Amino acid sequence: MISINKISIDLGSKQIITDYSDQIPGASITVILGPNGSGKSTLLNAMAGDIKPTKGTITIDDTDPALTPASQLSKLRAMAIQNQNYTLGFTVKQIIEMAGDSKEIIEALALTELSNRQVTTLSGGEAQRVSIATAIAQKTPVLLLDEPLAAQDIENRERIIKLLQKLAVSGTTVVLVAHSSESELIWADKVIKQA
Amino acid sequence: MKKVAPTILLVLVTFIAIYNGAAQIENFWSALFSPGSNEILWQIRIPRVTAALIVGASLALAGLIAQGACNNALAEPSILGTTAGASLGTVLAVLTGFVQVGSLGAIACGALGALLATSLTFKLANLRSKLSSFSLIIVGIAVSAFFTAAVGLLSSMVTRADARSISFWNFGSLALITQENLLGISITAILGAAIAWRVSPALDRLSLGDSTAFHLGIDVPRSRLLALIALSLLAGGAVSTVGSIAFIGLAAPHIARFIYGPVHRKLIFHTAIIGALLVVAADTIARSAVQPNELPIGLITSLVGAPVLIALVTMRNNIWKTQ
Repeated sequence: MISINKISIDLGSKQIITDYSDQIPGASITVILGPNGSGKSTLLNAMAGDIKPTKGTITIDDTDPALTPASQLSKLRAMAIQNQNYTLGFTVKQIIEMAGDSKEIIEALALTELSNRQVTTLSGGEAQRVSIATAIAQKTPVLLLDEPLAAQDIENRERIIKLLQKLAVSGTTVVLVAHSSESELIWADKVIKQA
Repeated sequence: MKKVAPTILLVLVTFIAIYNGAAQIENFWSALFSPGSNEILWQIRIPRVTAALIVGASLALAGLIAQGACNNALAEPSILGTTAGASLGTVLAVLTGFVQVGSLGAIACGALGALLATSLTFKLANLRSKLSSFSLIIVGIAVSAFFTAAVGLLSSMVTRADARSISFWNFGSLALITQENLLGISITAILGAAIAWRVSPALDRLSLGDSTAFHLGIDVPRSRLLALIALSLLAGGAVSTVGSIAFIGLAAPHIARFIYGPVHRKLIFHTAIIGALLVVAADTIARSAVQPNELPIGLITSLVGAPVLIALVTMRNNIWKTQ
């Protein structure tokens, strides 16, 4: 379970999140919604340990990500960032294997034909699927995904959602940022709306 | 065949470099297998070729680490200010009279100068925003220019033969290498390569960006610091002993990636081989082309390195994605 306890986050002179608390249940899918600039990605980054809240704390099963060493944190949570930019020509398979075993996830996300392609030659949607696959390959109890559905066609959106549902059933806590309307999110267990 | 070609070429070019020189060595093969039997061979030529091998491997590895740690295709010791810092550290130490070029003390001062200059580049590039490729290169060029000017001024104001000339610090030379110099550059090469080996999996992950590297469990500041130390040892050791040799740090890693792919642990060995090959070949040309005079080796490496840089920017299927 992820506990958010009265956090405020300032970026520069702007307060992005103010005195916010919530509980994200384990083994579930939580979607963070909100308009641009509302702090969705900031909240996700704080859960991942990238940002330390200015006030308050976030804990993942009693561990504060902002105070945990990177190596230890990588066993607790995985994260796929938005707009992953690949600069060096590793293959899709090599990238995923930096996180863990690649075989299963390559098949699950329909990346088999791309597995020996250089990541620098992929389209935005393909690169995003590689980023998601890398995060899932880490096999962590918490999976954080920043706009994983944004650049996907309908078929791949459905594929990703089904996979996330399967992961949640098997015990993974999935938190993702999306731009869908709330009525479309019948597959989510919880929706957080950022104003 | 393509994958073993650099190693075969290195063996071949090394033999040519030892065989070829101003003085003809009688009974070359028997002298080669009788250590100490021929003074020119064993006191001058073999130490020089050995130094070229070590310096080439060191500069190439320094370039590989610089590019990996900065996630930047253009990063190399001379662009990040590392080379100029090593030169200034050594010149200052030599001018105070405590050390001689090529000694362990000079190498230590060179490595320290390299570390300080590279740290300064990183610090200044990071000052106002997140570390970007653009700010790193611009600041690196500025730091490099400043330190190079300081070396030029010091070399011009204090004329001492043991402090070497501006030409030596700008274009490098292996002409004054002795057997005693080999110990120091061997130590920095081994230490630098060992750290590079240790940090290489982190360099793979840093190519995905700092944020994703962190998510994959990499302590980004620590990995970058280790890379910086390896870079300073390798470049500091080489530059403080033979001066600046341009483009090896840029060309060798790119040639290696083109042949062997992007995995850093695999690249450590191959980049070192290609760097050694380039410097031994360039040094052989430098001392043979206009006999009995000698050309600065940096002129030859620039002639090879500059086209590599142009190819890097223009090639369509380059392994680096240049924005």
